[in-house]
Amino acid sequence: MHENLSQQQPDQRPGQPNQLQARSNAPAVLTVDAASFAYEQKPALENVSFDIRPGEAIALIGPNGSGKSTLLKGILGLISTVAGSVRVLGEETPPAGSIGYVPQGGELDPEFPASLEQVVMMGRYRGLGWLRLPGRTDRRAVGDALDAVGLAHRAKNRFGELSGGQQQRGLLARAIASGPRLLLLDEPFNGLDQKNRDALIGTIERLKADGVAILVSTHDLELARAVCDCVLLLNGGQVAFGPLDTALTLDNVQEAFREVGVEMDEHTLVVPGHEGH
Amino acid sequence: MDLLGPLFEAFSLPFMARALAVLVVLSLVAGVVGVLVNLRGLEFISDGLTHAVFPGIAIGFVWGGRDGLFAGAMIAAVLSAVVLTLLVRRAVTSDAAIAIVLTAMFSIGIIVVSRDSDYAGQLEQLLFGRLLTVTGAEVVKTIVICVIALLLVVLTLKEQLFRAFDRTGSAAAGYRPLLLDLVLNVAIALVVVAASSAVGNLLVLAVLIVPGAVARLVTVRLWVLFPVAAAFAALAAWVGLAIGFEASVGGGVDLPSGATVVLVLVAGYAVALLARLTIDRVRRGGSLGRGAPVTRERATRAWSMSAQVAHETDAAGKDAAGDGHADHGHADHGAGR
Repeated sequence: MHENLSQQQPDQRPGQPNQLQARSNAPAVLTVDAASFAYEQKPALENVSFDIRPGEAIALIGPNGSGKSTLLKGILGLISTVAGSVRVLGEETPPAGSIGYVPQGGELDPEFPASLEQVVMMGRYRGLGWLRLPGRTDRRAVGDALDAVGLAHRAKNRFGELSGGQQQRGLLARAIASGPRLLLLDEPFNGLDQKNRDALIGTIERLKADGVAILVSTHDLELARAVCDCVLLLNGGQVAFGPLDTALTLDNVQEAFREVGVEMDEHTLVVPGHEGH
Repeated sequence: MDLLGPLFEAFSLPFMARALAVLVVLSLVAGVVGVLVNLRGLEFISDGLTHAVFPGIAIGFVWGGRDGLFAGAMIAAVLSAVVLTLLVRRAVTSDAAIAIVLTAMFSIGIIVVSRDSDYAGQLEQLLFGRLLTVTGAEVVKTIVICVIALLLVVLTLKEQLFRAFDRTGSAAAGYRPLLLDLVLNVAIALVVVAASSAVGNLLVLAVLIVPGAVARLVTVRLWVLFPVAAAFAALAAWVGLAIGFEASVGGGVDLPSGATVVLVLVAGYAVALLARLTIDRVRRGGSLGRGAPVTRERATRAWSMSAQVAHETDAAGKDAAGDGHADHGHADHGAGR
């Protein structure tokens, strides 16, 4: 029962990473070293260590409440790092504009009167500084980001009128427009239809090819296999970290999902070669 | 009969011109700040700030008379904005706790005013304004305070909009939420100060809330919200002043000017809401699906604020018509004649 999932024949697809490929020697974009995070001094995630290098994608996997969003917010500095360290590009305080963040869908006011183009432009604000208004370069960057996610034709639409999947891609465009070295995606595939999932996967692959490091939280093992090089399994702490073929074992998955066995079965079903288990 | 005449003739009188100048400047700034209040859903905090600033207005007034009012109010405004911002940010308290603190502040203000021999008259002026007795020096002070509030908002406008749309995304981009909240709350408090001498502490809320709510009903274009809110507020101020003057002079009905302006604002909101609902219904019938339909929550929130304002306006009218306050109502419109 505790077989290694990686021993199953992977479902090779165009663009799927070679999971046996060695990690690059480039300096890490993000280094998390024995870090623990807390909300109002209440521990939320403990003793996490990993790093991510340019062009890599890491899947954060764990049940609800396992600390995936906590880790992303800890990296962003939105919650306290109470032990260990988090360094982005070697700095404890991330350089302005170095991190792009795509929050979970459904957290935003659908009635907010902003167009998709205006939302994506928000990604440029930090680089502009307080007093400058967006110029031609910024408009071009916004157009390029919308092209990258395939939504240039919806630029003038009100953000709240877009479908959930399009909104998610729009927020990804906002993150891309800021020109990040590290991209944090919080459950970006939740509730997406096949068309939007494919579009999002395509965009992530292009960003990786451009050298952007990507950390993506997901429940979906199939998607992790499709776009990620490494996996970080969490359940209040770090269960395992490493390349997919060594870290994504059934033992580790069961350990991460030990309190929600049903969910684990659900996830096992989407792993190639395990349908019906 | 010249129907448009009353809209212009009244303002040839110096006291009416001063009142219009104060209200137009106030409207332009309150319109811009009010849009952010609406987008951030800060109506409750704004209401709280109007109460929290009141002790400062009262202390300044009692100690320094009308000249001291602005200084006391400014100090109280900045302090209140900082305390409220920290209170809300700490999230250690509920809305009820904030309301308790603010009503306590309001009570302190009333106690301070009650030390004055002309307690009832002074209290009425502070609560409901004395628009038509505004002096030239007060016009200048109002303009200066409004310009400071406007600068605070305009210089951080794109960052404020980012935070209004996506709090987490804004913080993740590196913006400090506390700083942005402080700037906006201080701007709101300054508008409260600027408006207090004109429309009074209780009716300030209408000037802050209604124009932004109207703009949300009129347009779904982000940058259009600001001119729409400012223009609507200025128009309502002009029409309200003219109606108050005409009713008082021509019709013999003594209407408090500040309360009349507020009622015109609320009436404008009601018209905009009805128009929006009608357009939404027609569009749904035609399946056009454009614009931002008025949701029950949005309409209820804005309408409840308008109802509160209308209730306070009604109280202002009753006070002005009551035995103890009728003279002040007359004094308001009678000044400068």
